[in-house]
Amino acid sequence: MTNTTTAVAPARKRHTPGRAAIIIGATIVGIVLLAAIFAPLIAPHDPYAQSMLARFRPPSAEYWLGTDRFGRDTFSRILFGLRITLWTALASTALAMVAGTSVGILSGYYGGRVDRWVSAANDLLMSFPQMVAGIIIVALLGPGVTNLIIAIAITAFPAFYRMARSAALALRDREYIDACRVLGYSDVRIVARHILPETLDDMIIIATLWLATAVRTESSLAFIGLGAPPPAATLGGLVREGFDNLLDYPGLAIWPSLAILIVMIGLNLMGDGLRDANDPRASS
Amino acid sequence: MTVLTIENLRTTLRLDSGDCDALREVSFSVDEGETLAIVGESGCGKSMLAMSIMGLLPSIATISEGHVVLGSRAIEAEPEAAMEKVRGAEIGMVFQEPMTALNPVFTVGSQIAEPLRDHLGLSRAEARKTAIDLMERVRIPSAASRYDSYPHEFSGGMRQRVVIALAIACRPKLLIADEPTTALDVTVQRQILDLLDTLQDQEKMGMLLITHNLAIVAGHADRVVVMYGGDVVEQATVRDLFRSPAHPYARALLASLPRVDRDLSELASIPGRVPPLAKLPDGCRFIDRCPHAMDVCGKMPPAVELGQGTRHTVRCWLHVEGGSDAAVG
Repeated sequence: MTNTTTAVAPARKRHTPGRAAIIIGATIVGIVLLAAIFAPLIAPHDPYAQSMLARFRPPSAEYWLGTDRFGRDTFSRILFGLRITLWTALASTALAMVAGTSVGILSGYYGGRVDRWVSAANDLLMSFPQMVAGIIIVALLGPGVTNLIIAIAITAFPAFYRMARSAALALRDREYIDACRVLGYSDVRIVARHILPETLDDMIIIATLWLATAVRTESSLAFIGLGAPPPAATLGGLVREGFDNLLDYPGLAIWPSLAILIVMIGLNLMGDGLRDANDPRASS
Repeated sequence: MTVLTIENLRTTLRLDSGDCDALREVSFSVDEGETLAIVGESGCGKSMLAMSIMGLLPSIATISEGHVVLGSRAIEAEPEAAMEKVRGAEIGMVFQEPMTALNPVFTVGSQIAEPLRDHLGLSRAEARKTAIDLMERVRIPSAASRYDSYPHEFSGGMRQRVVIALAIACRPKLLIADEPTTALDVTVQRQILDLLDTLQDQEKMGMLLITHNLAIVAGHADRVVVMYGGDVVEQATVRDLFRSPAHPYARALLASLPRVDRDLSELASIPGRVPPLAKLPDGCRFIDRCPHAMDVCGKMPPAVELGQGTRHTVRCWLHVEGGSDAAVG
């Protein structure tokens, strides 16, 4: 505009908190995701092809991360393991987000007796540690990827439910929601147009953070043998397989563990960054 | 033509301490193009009355007797789905607090367009055009360019104009203005009230102006309903009420107004306070504060019309002929 003589504070460079974390995290997650999606193209070997002649090979030009006791290529198995692990994590988190958000909003918006019962059931679910709840549910449902997804979704449900419920509870008494009622909007319209969009930001942030937890839960369940049944490779399953020969060939357990670590770091960085960027109190 | 008729309305609250009537035997009507002011202090049932009309009573309150007649149709027992078509379309409402009555995350234009799409089924483009027309009608300057502004970019008065645009969007027959200017500057108050008057003239709407400001009543209303403790204690034209208030409460209310043409050393006030809901007296609810309280006031006084065809009614035993004798016996 114009140059004025009044001393105006120089416009401070806007700094979005958590921006670096989001960029680094998103890059890691992006690479991992691409690797998983294009695993069949990238993988140098068939992850299920056994070869008695190539057992326990050390890392080499042909087998980048060596081979396991059946002569299967570890690098290829990690790539394919990523697919199942990430798919399980994504599907279960999406399921938990949709279910938790909708039940939570309805519970908070309508309140009353149903809200009390659902909240009590949710508290009960929350009182179990994640792993214990996961083990119980998988044990009840039986093994298999679908059941695993359902089990992890159930353990992640309370986080979304509580957040959505408290948001709806706070929003429903706002005067502009009263104004919506006065304008004759139906409950469906009020929830869909005026309450859901305002809770969505929070839900997406929780989802990124819970994705990391879902990867961990999947890996842990696979490690204790409750994951996807063999010969399917999942990251947790690979660590478990590697454990049998830990002293002689530690790489078999370490490489998949590192893969889990990288995925978790990426997801957590992204989730924390998003949360900080969205927190009005954190911005300076 | 009569837009709204309230017949013998009783709204009951179920409290832990027992039932109590938040509104008793409330009757009045609003004609097309007429402004009826509802005055009374906080807790007299003004807002409860508005919510009874809109069918938006809190869950502890119910209409236990009487009728709310919109045009020629009784709506007090209509199911929620039918009321959703009435609210916003046939009855518009303007709130006290324009700062919070708009959703902060949507543009003002899209919020004005929403009832048009919901109630009138307009397309997105039509709704946008109509919304801009409405913004011009409520005199928002450069309406088209303000369509995409957010509520926080508007001043209080401008936001109240948006709220008014929302209320009249579907051309309702009745507009309920619940203390529409209480939260605004005095200069802005004037503009908003003038705007409401103009719109009312154009649309021939009946208007229910809920207020506790007698100056607004004198300047902008045709008739007045004075409420106290859930009763309509007096009902008259503005002229009649200001000239010859009949109910002791209405007299006290008017006497409490400071006047510029008289010397004044002290403001007149009404002794005591509004009784709490749970302890409302059975008879006249003004009994504890009334200088003329009599034995008979323990019974609910009837509504008495003062003079034929004046539509000036008062609910007080002082105006019942031989009332004190009749009731004591």
